[in-house]
Amino acid sequence: MNSAKDLEFCFQKTCDLLLGELLAGEALALDFSGEISDFMRFNHGQVRQIGSVQRAESSLTYFRDQRTITSSFELTGVEAKDIEYAANALTLVRREASLLPEDPYQTLPATGGSSRNVFSGRLLEPEQIPDEILGPGEILREAGADFVGLFSQGAICRGTATSAGARHWFATENFVVDYSAYLPSGKAVKSVHAGTEWDTVAYASRLASIIPHLTALAQPARTLPPGEYRVYITPDALYEFVPFFSWNGLGERCMREGESSYLALRDGRKSMSPAFHLTQDFSLGLEPRFNELGEVAAEKLVLIEGGKLVNTLVSARSNKQYGVPSNAAPESEDVRCPAIGAGQLDAENALTLLGTGIYISNLHYLNWSDNDSGRITGMTRFACFWVEEGKIVAPIQDMRFDESIYHLFGDKLLGLTRQRSLVPETGSYGLRSLGGALLPGLLVDRFPFTL
Amino acid sequence: MSPDMKRLLDAALPHGVEWAGLRRVRTAARGYRAKDGEFDMAFDYIDEGYMIEVLHQGQFGYAALASMNPGHLREAAKRALRLAMAAAPRAIFRFSQDVRPPTVTRYQSPRHLHADVGADLLVRHAVEWTEAMQISDRIVQAAAEIEVRDIETEIVSTSSASIEQHLRVVGMGIQAIAQDGGCTQRRSANGPRGRVNQGGWEILDLEHGKESAQRIAEQALELLSAPECPAMTADLVLAPDQMMLQIHESVGHPLELDRILGDERNYAGSTFVKLEDIGTLRYGSELMNITFDPTIPSEAASYGADDIGHPAIKEFLIKDGILVRALGSLESQQRSGKPGVANQRAQGWFRAPIDRMANLNLEPGKDRFEDILAAVEKGVFMESNRSWSIDDYRNKFQFGCEYARLIEGGKLGAVVRNPNYRGISATFWRNLFKVGEASTFGVFGTPNCGKGEPNQVITVGHASPVCGFRNVEIFGGEA
Repeated sequence: MNSAKDLEFCFQKTCDLLLGELLAGEALALDFSGEISDFMRFNHGQVRQIGSVQRAESSLTYFRDQRTITSSFELTGVEAKDIEYAANALTLVRREASLLPEDPYQTLPATGGSSRNVFSGRLLEPEQIPDEILGPGEILREAGADFVGLFSQGAICRGTATSAGARHWFATENFVVDYSAYLPSGKAVKSVHAGTEWDTVAYASRLASIIPHLTALAQPARTLPPGEYRVYITPDALYEFVPFFSWNGLGERCMREGESSYLALRDGRKSMSPAFHLTQDFSLGLEPRFNELGEVAAEKLVLIEGGKLVNTLVSARSNKQYGVPSNAAPESEDVRCPAIGAGQLDAENALTLLGTGIYISNLHYLNWSDNDSGRITGMTRFACFWVEEGKIVAPIQDMRFDESIYHLFGDKLLGLTRQRSLVPETGSYGLRSLGGALLPGLLVDRFPFTL
Repeated sequence: MSPDMKRLLDAALPHGVEWAGLRRVRTAARGYRAKDGEFDMAFDYIDEGYMIEVLHQGQFGYAALASMNPGHLREAAKRALRLAMAAAPRAIFRFSQDVRPPTVTRYQSPRHLHADVGADLLVRHAVEWTEAMQISDRIVQAAAEIEVRDIETEIVSTSSASIEQHLRVVGMGIQAIAQDGGCTQRRSANGPRGRVNQGGWEILDLEHGKESAQRIAEQALELLSAPECPAMTADLVLAPDQMMLQIHESVGHPLELDRILGDERNYAGSTFVKLEDIGTLRYGSELMNITFDPTIPSEAASYGADDIGHPAIKEFLIKDGILVRALGSLESQQRSGKPGVANQRAQGWFRAPIDRMANLNLEPGKDRFEDILAAVEKGVFMESNRSWSIDDYRNKFQFGCEYARLIEGGKLGAVVRNPNYRGISATFWRNLFKVGEASTFGVFGTPNCGKGEPNQVITVGHASPVCGFRNVEIFGGEA
């Protein structure tokens, strides 16, 4: 398999085979994730590891006699082998299903429809990768910084087909340079350069643009005592909070099972700022709207409006179990393509608006510290600065915060910026991720640092 | 049936390659979950693929694919070589073949029970465990899951390595969530997915699962009416299922040699440990003895050799509180000139191996549990991890637990909820004042250690006795 086209062929053949094998009383949904990627990991502006990966992971959910089971297997691109693997998977789920008790909330695929969205890119030849990525990075070394990170490029594909007649395909070719420029002090500027059409000049220009930030970062770091500070949180830093809309988050099941940290918001015991709005927004074009049952979500779903919870993410399974209308959420009920509403502040004047306080460009390793109160702890990271009267004074020694979402997005939220940034998801656990978020900057009062 | 790996490798080799290796990984997994007395989910997973790796002028290149078709493998090897050739002039280090030793070994997880257990029986147990947790209307979630993974790895190389390993990893999770008004509390079996071990079905102790589940639900309810953990600086005693997390985050990750060398700075982070600290740094009190130990049979990350073929043996990383060795693979050892261990591991066939933890343990000391408590005038005993966060230099941490009891005058006292503590790694470990004897030792693991670019998640094991620490900042939830 060498291209998105090969992956699509592989997916379609597998769908045809499995759907053609189904017997009366059986139903299935086939979910597909694939990629053909090149990776180059670099450190000190030099190559640490380089290679390529082809993946074509298929996940077959089988329904019969009120039994449900999912079986995943990897496709190879060799037709005879893939027929064998798909047939084995079907045999396996038929056998296993007969051993299982009834699934009380089984939801059969019920939606038809099809879609095909393919976005081609212009990427680098393998031989070009080290020079194209690391050559322009030499400018950072000349500025006294280490160039560290990961370059990845290639095709990313998602597909779904069901026995109800749904068949959807989404493929995109893109590149991501996820990098940081480290000074000997251990301070760094972090950034992501991503797109679909490789442009050497644009990339070199992007690298050159971080040099002024390195100059500011080169000053001795200031150690601040724990306490409450006025802070400006950039869109990149805010992105670290995005997983917390899903994890113990806004899913209906999560609420019902007591895992959500938003129960107080749901019950009306707490609220957020009237200026805070959260929407699931597929118009961003970052990932497909279909889920594993072939259901297609609305282009926009408002989740929090004016600080009040107006919708949760509801899957077909939750619909069946709790009687709440589904909004075509995936079974995980994760928020996809989140967008936080813009405010009135001018991001260009962020430092002036901050006045005296901490400019937070990145955060690290966040975790819920107290579910009931919606408290999250985490660390500042990379280029965070102490600012006085609108001027950067010095980078700060990293600090730990511990704050409730009801304060951060609530009574302590002073405003959001008019401009928003599209922050791409760069994760690659198992496979390269799709998605991202549209986020403003936040001005927050009395943000508590504890260590 | 396993293919003839050496023949596949030989057939795939591009002309003039200096060295090449082929790694096959096949993972077959299945799992079941029950909730609130009913079936909830069942899955099967079979994943098999190959990574071919070539060495050119000191630079490795790799290509990973699911196909064992000789033509596809040949194409993959060519692509790996093209990448290695392009990268060699910009290589961070010119590796020798010594980092891919010609190891010949076989390893298999020890199992007391060899016969398989069917889906029907496993689901029935999981359902029964959740039924056992339904002791009150205030239990809003009772969940149980069981998972088993069989991981076969084969490695061959042009330098005659021949490795076959078959690991069986069995895991279970039991969790109750209790709710009363605005108060919600979770209690689980040793924290989220904390019970992960190698072995057969004996690992699950199926017969005693119901008792364990009921106790978990009782404790979840108990937490609802418990007072908040008080905020104070006091002594902290940690159970092995929280020591697992403490070792993982504040010892394991800081000692990874690739972090010390800067590879992880863009993603997982760096470390406060420097190369020159190895052999000299007082990491903790003299009671602190940390080992890399792949020899405990039931621990989650035991193996015969790592994924580049380095034979695994037990090594002390911290001896009597002094850092003596880092978690560095042969590649990191060659780059740094420092001693290491056999820890270059990959998530699967689709990721290149990097420096990882495997089994990282705190060796038992001499104190009985009662002796540890007796040495505490005022403190808290905490169990089972609930929350974890640490900075990218692995200094400033904040961890939370599910369940805690006050210690007053050397005795366990009232249960308190939302227990948390924070500190700075080396300071914390230097305040280690008690290490439990073997009777307090617990062997746990987690399948969720994330790191690397591209990202990888891997299973690690951690074993520890009960330990006591002086002068820790302890606190509870929001009032």
